[in-house]
Order: sequence, then structure tokens, then C-alpha cells
Amino acid sequence: MRHQEDNPELVFADLPVGRTFKPLEYPVTPKLIQDFIETVGDHHPLYDEGLAPPGLAAIYARLSYLQDHTMPSGGVLVKQEFEFQNPTRIGDTLKVQAKVVESYLDEKERKRVNFLIEAKDQKGMPVSTIRLYAIWPK
Amino acid sequence: MLKKMKPGDLLPVIEKEIDQARILKWAQISGDFNRLHVDPEFARQTRFGGTIAHGPMSLAFLNELMMECFGRGWAKGGKLLDVRFVTPIRPRDRIRIKGTVKQVHGAYIECDLVVEKQDGEKAVIGRAVGLLEPEGK
Repeated sequence: MRHQEDNPELVFADLPVGRTFKPLEYPVTPKLIQDFIETVGDHHPLYDEGLAPPGLAAIYARLSYLQDHTMPSGGVLVKQEFEFQNPTRIGDTLKVQAKVVESYLDEKERKRVNFLIEAKDQKGMPVSTIRLYAIWPK
Repeated sequence: MLKKMKPGDLLPVIEKEIDQARILKWAQISGDFNRLHVDPEFARQTRFGGTIAHGPMSLAFLNELMMECFGRGWAKGGKLLDVRFVTPIRPRDRIRIKGTVKQVHGAYIECDLVVEKQDGEKAVIGRAVGLLEPEGK
């Protein structure tokens, strides 16, 4: 996978409410799943039947808003929520789209950014909905 | 796989050892090569005093526990809620991914989850709702 660190930083000014990122195409390849399973150490037998680990969402959610950018240092993910509507199968290609649903300075002047991220499979079936609540560093 | 649960029941415990090699592997599959995770020299000079594991790796561990408990009832219909990173996980940490049944609504089981370090310090907290599969599946 390409190093995101070579990309420009995604800063608060780039994240107005309503910004919708281009959909991320995320191929769920056997190699990706094998590497994921080995890294995490999660060897559930259903993965041998073609199910992809739901924990992949932790990766593609972040990539969906950092396709052309890198994350500035010092940010805090305050809260995260994941909902899995349908299983992902090995061989699927997901389309993952992030949208900024809130972007504001809080009472302590901290830069708050909240994302809604939706993933669908190649047939358009919803796979997951993810909500990320972040304090952006700059 | 869980078959029947009541409030207060403990979920199975998953244990992991975190090392720099695992953190580097996560960087490779996620594309997140932030130096705070992968460059020990750089990380030593930050407020963390050394490298830390990627937060999303802990989410993968929570998902692993939920898959063990609910299987297909996690992959279709599972919800991971209110997940918060409390303290960083570092190389050489031994972590335990644990959970307790909080409420039962028919086949839906709500659990409190925690990723705990070797000294009992909470690294990640959250809640989950999974669906018990019917007996025999």
C-alpha cells in the first residue's frame, strides 16, 4: 500500500460541513485478507468460507477521507461507531464514501470534525456505516 | 459462539502481545506510516516517549472478539458503539480484550467491551450489540 505520508496534510480548513469525498474503491483481495488475519491474529473459521473480517472497516474508514492526504499529527479520535448491515465477502470491491457532517470550534476552541462514512459492495448493497468524531489538530 | 447469555455474563477473553513488528504490519495493510507508529527514534522525542500502536488495530481486536461471540450475527447486524481510545497501547504491552453482557433483548445482546493492558489500565472502551445465531447454525 502506498505511503500516505507523501501526501499533503488534510487540515481543518479542508473540512467544511457537507464536504463529500470521492468514493474510495477498496478491493477485498485474498492477499489483503491473509495479511489482515496474520496481523490481527484473528483466525475465525468463517473467513475460510469467504467471509471478510468486519474489522477491515477500521482500515477503509480512515482511508476514505485520506485518499489524497495525510493526517496531521496530534489529532484525537474522540469516539467511533460501526454498524454492519451486510457481510463483506472476499473478492468484493467496496465503494466507501466519507462525508463531513459536523465541523465547528467547540467551547474550548478545539476543531471538531465528525464524519459519516458509508461502504457499499459492488452491487450497491450497504455493508457498513461508520461515524467518527474527531478533534482535528490544525 | 455464544448460545445463551444473561446480564453480567463474561465474554471469552482474547489475549495479544503487541510488538513493533505487528505495528509495522498494521502500517503496511492500512497505509498509515505515521512516524509516531513506525519510527522509534522519532517517537522517542514526542510526548509519548516511544512508538504507539495504531488505534484502529484495537478496533480490529474488538471485532475479533465480537466475531468469536456472534459469528454471522456480528458480520450482519453487529454494532460497535461509543468506542473511545483511553490510553495508547505500546510495544511490549500484553493486552486482554474482554466484555460483559449488559442487556439481553431477545436475540440481541448488548455488551460492554474493554481492551485492558497488563496492569489493568483500560486502553479502549466501548459497547457492542450482536445477534445470537439460532441454535444448530
